Amino acid sequence: MRIKSALAAVAVVALAAACGSGGGDTGDSSGGSGEPVKLDFLSLAWQKESVEANKAIVEEWNKANPEIQVTYVQGSWDNVNDQLVTSFEGGDAPDVFHDDSPALAGFASKGYLLDLKDKLPASLQNDIPQAAWDTVTFDDGSGDQGVFGVPFLQESQVIIANKKLLTEAGVRMPTPAEPWTWNEFADASKKLTKGDTYGVAWPMKSPVNKVLNLALNFDGTFFQTAGGKTTVKVGPEEKAVLQRIHDQLYKDKTADPAALGMGTADPLPGFFADKYAMLPVGVYLRQQVAEQAPDGFEWVTLPPLKGTTSNQGAVSQTLSVSADSEHQEQAIQFMSFFLNGKNQARLAKGDWLLPTSQEAASDPSITGQEDGWDVATASAKDLVVAPFLKVNGYDEWKSKVATPVLQEFFANKVTLDEAAKRLVEEGNEVLERYQR
Amino acid sequence: MWVLLLPALVPVLIFSVGPLLYGISLAFTDAESGRNHVTSFAGLDNFAALLGDDDFWQSMQVGMIWAVSVTALQFLASLGLALLLNERLALRGVARVLAMVPWAMPPVVIGLMWRLVYHPDAGIVNSTLGTDINWLADFTWALPAVIVMGVWSGMPQTTVVLLAGLQTVPRELYEAGAMDGAGTWRRFWNITLPQLRPVIVAITSLDFVWNFNQFSLVYVLTQGGPGGRTRLPMLFAYEEAFRYGFFGYAAALGVAIVVVVLALLGVYLWRQLREAS
Repeated sequence: MRIKSALAAVAVVALAAACGSGGGDTGDSSGGSGEPVKLDFLSLAWQKESVEANKAIVEEWNKANPEIQVTYVQGSWDNVNDQLVTSFEGGDAPDVFHDDSPALAGFASKGYLLDLKDKLPASLQNDIPQAAWDTVTFDDGSGDQGVFGVPFLQESQVIIANKKLLTEAGVRMPTPAEPWTWNEFADASKKLTKGDTYGVAWPMKSPVNKVLNLALNFDGTFFQTAGGKTTVKVGPEEKAVLQRIHDQLYKDKTADPAALGMGTADPLPGFFADKYAMLPVGVYLRQQVAEQAPDGFEWVTLPPLKGTTSNQGAVSQTLSVSADSEHQEQAIQFMSFFLNGKNQARLAKGDWLLPTSQEAASDPSITGQEDGWDVATASAKDLVVAPFLKVNGYDEWKSKVATPVLQEFFANKVTLDEAAKRLVEEGNEVLERYQR
Repeated sequence: MWVLLLPALVPVLIFSVGPLLYGISLAFTDAESGRNHVTSFAGLDNFAALLGDDDFWQSMQVGMIWAVSVTALQFLASLGLALLLNERLALRGVARVLAMVPWAMPPVVIGLMWRLVYHPDAGIVNSTLGTDINWLADFTWALPAVIVMGVWSGMPQTTVVLLAGLQTVPRELYEAGAMDGAGTWRRFWNITLPQLRPVIVAITSLDFVWNFNQFSLVYVLTQGGPGGRTRLPMLFAYEEAFRYGFFGYAAALGVAIVVVVLALLGVYLWRQLREAS
């Protein structure tokens, strides 16, 4: 017994000494300021390469900055906003967190976020174009505009297609300089539909953002603001894309109605089995296609479609600092390092998305022809701020009104006019809640 | 001697009664998320808004369909299973253990597993039935599909309780019944069921409350979709509070759910007890 307790005492002393000397070391390197600053960084990276890139950059930072130590915390897109609301309210929010611009709009007006205006280094400020900054500029709840995040990854809607079927059907190959129009796309879908093969699969489990982003092809904005009051608008411009998709499903019968309920990645087994020739999806899906495609399967990335314009609504993935963070200055320093041009190229490559950084966009690793990177990166020029971004209450409109209405419309249960009426009337009731 | 009560009372007061009262008081305010928001007393505004909210009524309707059908089907299936497991069959021990498996699974795992079962391309349901239906995204089929999962996942508890009940039924009653010439069906109807009655009342009421308040299973499987067709009241309350940040409104919803459950249970138990006496 006595020996054991003596050993334990020695162990405790040794531990204490080790801790003490450890603290001393970091104290010395940071100029004697004592304990290193600790930051929590909530990342939502989920693709394997992207998680690796995120962790590697954090590690590099920690090595180079012993006085500011960052802890990587893994989050998930599925529940990040619920998680953040509770942690903001509970006062234990991460210092730096990854999210997207639609979520920031709501958080900004509730005062959860640090306004980054005039606080970011010029190098970062100038590397990212104004169009991207616009996706993170919001009302702070008192009528002033602030910058509430750093936008770093953007998604465009492209078409991933089966190269063999496309060649067999003899359709013109579109290029970024000469993309398909929606009419050409409809014709190509008809040519590709034969036997068990559908020309196209529209995975519409979450239809709203997709439809709203594409609607800009025909200048459909879905919202209008007059006299400080925002209302929903569904006119001919907004109806254009809705009608075209609906036609493919039920008039041309070139799109498989069974794919409607699928999430973005769900049609892939069918795509590999020649059941679907084309998938209109976000650029990031290329990763899963590249990884899962059977040997010998040839696929191409086709540039975004053109209506009256090629414009697509864009939101950004972002990093933000929470207003409650005790180390805002250090958080901004970390963020600026994390999102410099070189690192953005790595993050974009890891997530198969488009970087906002100009420097990163010209990085050879994401401009080559392999896996459609040239087409994907070129599509960044079509991205404009999605109009719905600035709409307070958009999230509730989306899930309570627009998602069910669009699902019913695509399932051919309501007509376009009925759908439009509900989007507007029920939608305005929801928006009302946020404008009193 | 009230001091002796304290060890039991204090945790109940702190962890149950306190939050409950706080939740109820929240229902009478306009509490919202956000640092800029000043919460003020709102009287019955939240409840008035609830009554006029179509989404609330839809979710209550979904909740009732779900709770009643899951409870009823669960009871029937479990009773059958319990009767079977009560017989002297070969490998009865193994079968009894297997019947418990769903109980050992966390709800999130159950949800993920059933998502695969219902997968439109790779799921076992479509490949077995030869159908091409996206069960969880179909407006007609989503709720029935979710109900089937609910029945499956809740069967073990119900089966165990009913099996325990069956084992307390005295053998002599069956022997006497057999002597009087009662067939299997008669014996079940006139001996087993009446003897099981208290157990049945208890387990169905508990099941009903559990099912009505179910959250995690459905949250994982459908998140309340498509178009709110599987949005149970608890999911609705969760969305209002943590997605849109209307804490006061969500608290009012919680109060409404408690009232509905208590009222239904009260009527059910009162009728059952009256019939029993």
